[in-house]
Order: sequence, then C-alpha cells, then structure tokens
Amino acid sequence: MGESGPKSLEAMMMSDIAKDRMAHSVKKRGSMSSLSGREFWQKELHRCTKNSMSTVSYMDEPSQRDDASRLTVQMENTYQLGPTKHFPVVIVNHILKDVLTKYLQEEQYEPELCRQMTKTISEVIKAQVKDLMIPRYKLIVIVHIGQLNSQNIFIGSRCLWDPKSDTFSSYVFRNSSLFALASVYAVYFE
Amino acid sequence: FTFRIRKIEALRGCEIPLDVDITHCIDGVLGGEDYNQNNINQWTASIVEQSLTHLVKLGKAYKYIVTCAVVQRSAYGFHTASSCFWDTTSDGTCTVRWENRTMNCIVNVFAIAIVL
Repeated sequence: MGESGPKSLEAMMMSDIAKDRMAHSVKKRGSMSSLSGREFWQKELHRCTKNSMSTVSYMDEPSQRDDASRLTVQMENTYQLGPTKHFPVVIVNHILKDVLTKYLQEEQYEPELCRQMTKTISEVIKAQVKDLMIPRYKLIVIVHIGQLNSQNIFIGSRCLWDPKSDTFSSYVFRNSSLFALASVYAVYFE
Repeated sequence: FTFRIRKIEALRGCEIPLDVDITHCIDGVLGGEDYNQNNINQWTASIVEQSLTHLVKLGKAYKYIVTCAVVQRSAYGFHTASSCFWDTTSDGTCTVRWENRTMNCIVNVFAIAIVL
C-alpha cells in the first residue's frame, strides 16, 4: 500500500502547556514508509500524547483506505437486473394477520396501551419479515391503531418505485372497540 | 378555524427540507374544506400525487413512499407507528401533521436511496 510514491507529511507541534493548542511550526518531509499509511500515523499520534505533545498528521493523496472508511460504502456492480427472490406477498399477509390477531384479539381500546402496542407490533412484524431472509430488500412497516366508533377515516398511499421488484402488503384487523391497519412496504436495494 | 402545522422529524440521511413543500400541498387541497365523505378519496389522492411530484422535481436518486391518513376530528383516539429496516446513512423519513376544525391529516414520506 505504501509503494505509490513519496508522501508529504505536515506535522503540527503543540506546546507543552496543556491549555495552549496553537501550532508553533510546520515541518514538511518526504518519506517512503514501509508500513501501510494509516497505522503509521496513528501510532505516532498515540506516542506523542503521552509526552503532553500531540501531532496531527495527514497525507495529501487520498488512498483507497480513506474511501472505505467513509460512511457511504461504495458497492461493486453485481450485474443483476432484478431480484433473484421476489418478496412473498402472501406469506407476509399471513404474518400480518397472525400478529395483529394475536396481540389485539382480546384488547379494549386504551390510549396508553395502544400507544405501546403500535410500537411493539411494528417491531414484531419487522422482525418476523426479516426472518424470512429475503435478500436485498429494505422494509418499512407502518401500523395504525384507532378507536372504533362510527367516525370516518381514510388512509391512502402512493409510491414511486420500480413495480417489478417492489411491492407492499397490508391487513386490517377489527374487534369490538378498535381497528388496526398494518402495512409492509418492501423496496429492492438496487 | 385555525390550522396548526407541526413537523416531527426532518428527512435524515438525505437532508431534504420537505415539510414546507408538503404543508403547502395539504393546504392547497384541504385548506378551507370541511370533512366530506364524498370528496375524501379525491383529496387524499391529490395530496399524495402533488407530494410525489414535488419530490420528483428535487431530482434526487430516491424511491419514495408517501402515505396520507385523514381522520375526522372526534373524541376518539388514533395511533400510528412505523419501523424500518434500511440503510440509516442514506435513507430517511419525514412526517407532517396538519389539522383544521373538522379533520386531522398525517402525511408520511419515506425516501430510500438508489445506488446508481
């Protein structure tokens, strides 16, 4: 990794007084390092701090290691045109039905209970759909719970995606005092 | 009547200030209207479609999911929660709540990055 050519190093020396952090001098030296770039500079940093002196050093030319450490990961091309395994809508429908019935069959509407319940149910559904292990799919699970008593509610959604690979699944559950709507959107990661 | 607008969280990851655009969309469609069962279908459709057009105009490489829930204002409770399995560095969400004298409207936008 260190064979790409002379690297220029700028070092800032800090004074001994702990509070004073102004740079006193700047040195430039070219050196060929046989260690790989990153570890060498880090070692230098640690050593200097023990003696109440710190050096900050960086390399001018960006190396491949710098790119990999940034948050957004550069993916290689897979040359896949579409998903190998499509999202199983029917299975997910069953999951939604089972989870909603299990959690809400006997419940009455109560504000505190339903507030916790929406969060719990959405986490449970997400975990169960993740267990299906469909590769390269991102999931969004939305749960609405409301009190059922002759008021009107209308919920709609539109999506801008690739309909060949992305899909959604939803289920409505009703009992005597409440209703619940759960939807799962699955988006293929291109 | 007064309508109050509150944003829950801005779009993380992609950092697009969406709540203003979406509130304008909702105002345009629902502002000054009372809850009406006949029109509700068409109102939600136009809110969602206008939000999507705004998002597309931003020209970013994202897939979008927009959901809109309109509830008649009543003494009855309503809860919503969502959980997502995605890449937290590049994907994000934005939620806008809007209300007037007769109804409440909640619009959720989810944006998922496309890696080109």
